[in-house]
Amino acid sequence: MRKQARLVRGVAALLLLAAALSLLSACSLSDLAAGGQSGADAVLGSGTRVLRILSGSENAELEPILEEYARDAGVRIEMTYQGSLDIMRALGQEDLAYDAVWPASSLWLNVGDTGHRVKHAESISITPVVFGIRKSLAESLGFVGREVSVQDLLDAIRAGSLRFCMTSATQSNSGASAYIGFLYALLGNPDVITEEDLQSETLKTQVRELFSGVDRSSGSSDWLKDMFLAGDYDAMVNYECLIIQANEELTARGEEPLYVVYPYDGLSIADSPLGYVDAGDEAKEELFLDLQAYLLSEETQSAIQRTGRRSSYTGVREENRDVFPEAWGLQPDRVLSPIRMPAADVLFACLNLYQTELRKPSLSVYCLDYSGSMSGEGNEQLVSAMEQILVQENAAANFLQASQDEVNILIPFNGEVIATYSAVGNGQELEDLYRVVRGQEVGGGTDMYAAAAEGLRLLQGYDLTQYTPALILLTDGQSGGSFSEFAQAYAELGQEVPVFSIMFGNADEEQLQELAQYTNARVFDGREDLTAAFRSVKGYN
Amino acid sequence: MKTKWIGLAILAVVIVAAAGYAVFSANAQVLELNGYLGGEKIGLLEDAEVQEIFRSRYHLSLDYARAGSLEMITADQTGMNYLFPSNQTALELYEQVQGTPYRSEIVLNTPIVLYTRAQVAEALVGAGIASAADGVYTVDMAALVACIEQGTSWAEIGLPELYGDVAVGTTDPTKSNSGNMFAGLLANTLCGGVADENNVEAILPRLQAIFQRLGYMENSSSDLFDQFLKTGMGAKPLIAGYESQLLEFAVQNPDTWAQIRDDIVLLYPTPTVWSSHVYIALDEAGATAIDALLDEDVQRLAWEKHGFRTGLYDAPGDVGQFGVPGIAEEITQVAPMPDVDTMDRIIAALS
Repeated sequence: MRKQARLVRGVAALLLLAAALSLLSACSLSDLAAGGQSGADAVLGSGTRVLRILSGSENAELEPILEEYARDAGVRIEMTYQGSLDIMRALGQEDLAYDAVWPASSLWLNVGDTGHRVKHAESISITPVVFGIRKSLAESLGFVGREVSVQDLLDAIRAGSLRFCMTSATQSNSGASAYIGFLYALLGNPDVITEEDLQSETLKTQVRELFSGVDRSSGSSDWLKDMFLAGDYDAMVNYECLIIQANEELTARGEEPLYVVYPYDGLSIADSPLGYVDAGDEAKEELFLDLQAYLLSEETQSAIQRTGRRSSYTGVREENRDVFPEAWGLQPDRVLSPIRMPAADVLFACLNLYQTELRKPSLSVYCLDYSGSMSGEGNEQLVSAMEQILVQENAAANFLQASQDEVNILIPFNGEVIATYSAVGNGQELEDLYRVVRGQEVGGGTDMYAAAAEGLRLLQGYDLTQYTPALILLTDGQSGGSFSEFAQAYAELGQEVPVFSIMFGNADEEQLQELAQYTNARVFDGREDLTAAFRSVKGYN
Repeated sequence: MKTKWIGLAILAVVIVAAAGYAVFSANAQVLELNGYLGGEKIGLLEDAEVQEIFRSRYHLSLDYARAGSLEMITADQTGMNYLFPSNQTALELYEQVQGTPYRSEIVLNTPIVLYTRAQVAEALVGAGIASAADGVYTVDMAALVACIEQGTSWAEIGLPELYGDVAVGTTDPTKSNSGNMFAGLLANTLCGGVADENNVEAILPRLQAIFQRLGYMENSSSDLFDQFLKTGMGAKPLIAGYESQLLEFAVQNPDTWAQIRDDIVLLYPTPTVWSSHVYIALDEAGATAIDALLDEDVQRLAWEKHGFRTGLYDAPGDVGQFGVPGIAEEITQVAPMPDVDTMDRIIAALS
């Protein structure tokens, strides 16, 4: 009897083991399937075990380091890049299709993780948000070799002698950090910003004046650096590590580097926390912890420092000091003493104020494809994407509201321009624009060049220095017409207006890239998720 | 030939079955408990040596879900055998809400302390806020609070490289235990004794002012401590935490600790408050873990590897073993936390 009982137990144990094994293999198979169709921005390594990381764009600079790990460990790391605020919102949603999150600052992680799903969060590296100013300009402004306050920078901006690029404060951590620093300085450096402070009309006027000095905006810090390098600008607000990367390229080209200014009363720090999103998968958790241990190992920390970040407990090492040259204004030994971030509710009030009242108003020209191939599902997706942007209560969920002075122009097109519409502000006119988007019928061929050229001609009627202008082009097919028609209109306008495009259906990526390169803009992929693509592009102006 | 293979196959099946049985029967005798655990004790319960003692001597294994000390009291306790919060207020709250627990016992203690950098500690000593005796730093809470309330800048106490006014970084007192206890400690200091329902109303506006100026606060003690160590003196010059955090860090990360030990200073507030980790058994099964937690070797490991004091007052063993300078042999200057109703008022005022 006892023997029999033992045997039964033994068999039961075997069955359990078998069940566990088949479960394991099922897991890796489903991982594989998910990975094959993932919308990741970068896939590193080719293992069957997958780690999907939702990350700030600045971590794109760490891809070689991640790739080395992925190769050695037989792991596939899928990096999806989003702004820190998008990551915060993603954490608030019930379904999160990622195993880990890696925003620029722990602030967004803590505020977003309302369900307490994030475990093992640890800071991987540190970098401050700073001003990078062309060295000769920094010298002539008297910013070299001394402590600079935010007020000093504001004075130069008001005097018209400093213009700069920064990311959107409602889409990206570096922009938000810089903006909060500006608010502190303009409020006379209080201990902490309060909601009452934000009511001040004087403050609003001063901030608007300040943002009038913004040359270009961007939805992401890494792309801001790329855009800066492709254009001709004087200064940018960005992470110290990205200014260092930009300088490495500028000096390689034989061009003037940027001089780093640390505003002592408006500094903030990005602490780059990497956290695990717990969905109860122990194998995944181990995989995560292994990657994290690799990133925090002495050797990797040193490699991360070579990308211009301050990492580890003891600051910049002797052997990496050459990455932080004094000639670029870098101060690797500087005590980074940041401003205090306001409490979450005040912070969101600041961000809403930026979006609806303070930022330089945007002037967006939407050239939307209504050719025959858009009929059916394509058109439905387009309408629901525009609904997220033009209908203000939807836009507010993503800090994408229109401001009271902004201008939105709509050009539906097929083989030719169908009509043009414009709306000023964030009221009825904008809602009417959405009605046009919904009511327009589809049919005919595709000529995006004609539509874009028409958009540029309409821009001639505006003083573009008062706006952040952009063309946003959506198309789903190979375009007829000619690039030269567009180029001619661009030359006639004589000002840099980025032409962002959203690739959809069977659009020709080469045609879109040509426009993007010509105008220092970028192409967004709307084939997976058109609404997300529209949201991203809107975040760029 | 053929029978030989069959014999081997049977042998293999028997070996696998026997191995399976061994695992199975060992498991069959282990009682698996479930409960809510404060995050700072995860290191202890995940410790392989501790788990082995639980298994071999007490036939127990403790599974857990992480939860805040106060939120676990009102959380859904279906299927849970225990609660393991980080303060006695949680037990008082339990008694108010749920009645007398099946059993409860304080099994670990650690004082609330302040952490800072050598240069800041020196400045605090110079300003008459902190003092050192036999290598142990203490902070005069009344003097520190006065300095904060007056809006003294770091520059004024000799630290021009630090921006802004003197402040103690803490976790959000409405969400995390260490911030919550530090708020209790500040309330005691402002009341000039233990804050109670009679004297707390008068000091609430001052307490609110101190916390409001901190702006954004972290949600978790371990995140705050990680940032303190990594973001340097400028970002987190002075924070509140548990004594056990640094002791555990020094033991678990000896190489890193060797690099930074000269710069990190632990300060004992006078008076401080104890974070007492009360194990609350919800049923008979849950109660079996109390003996296991009080096992001499578990208590020894809790101190040696995770920095928890096990009794009050005296250190349970050699303080030198951590390689952390300035650890007090005994903690004599301790005040009780305000009672649960007073803490309720404080938290409501800070929400």
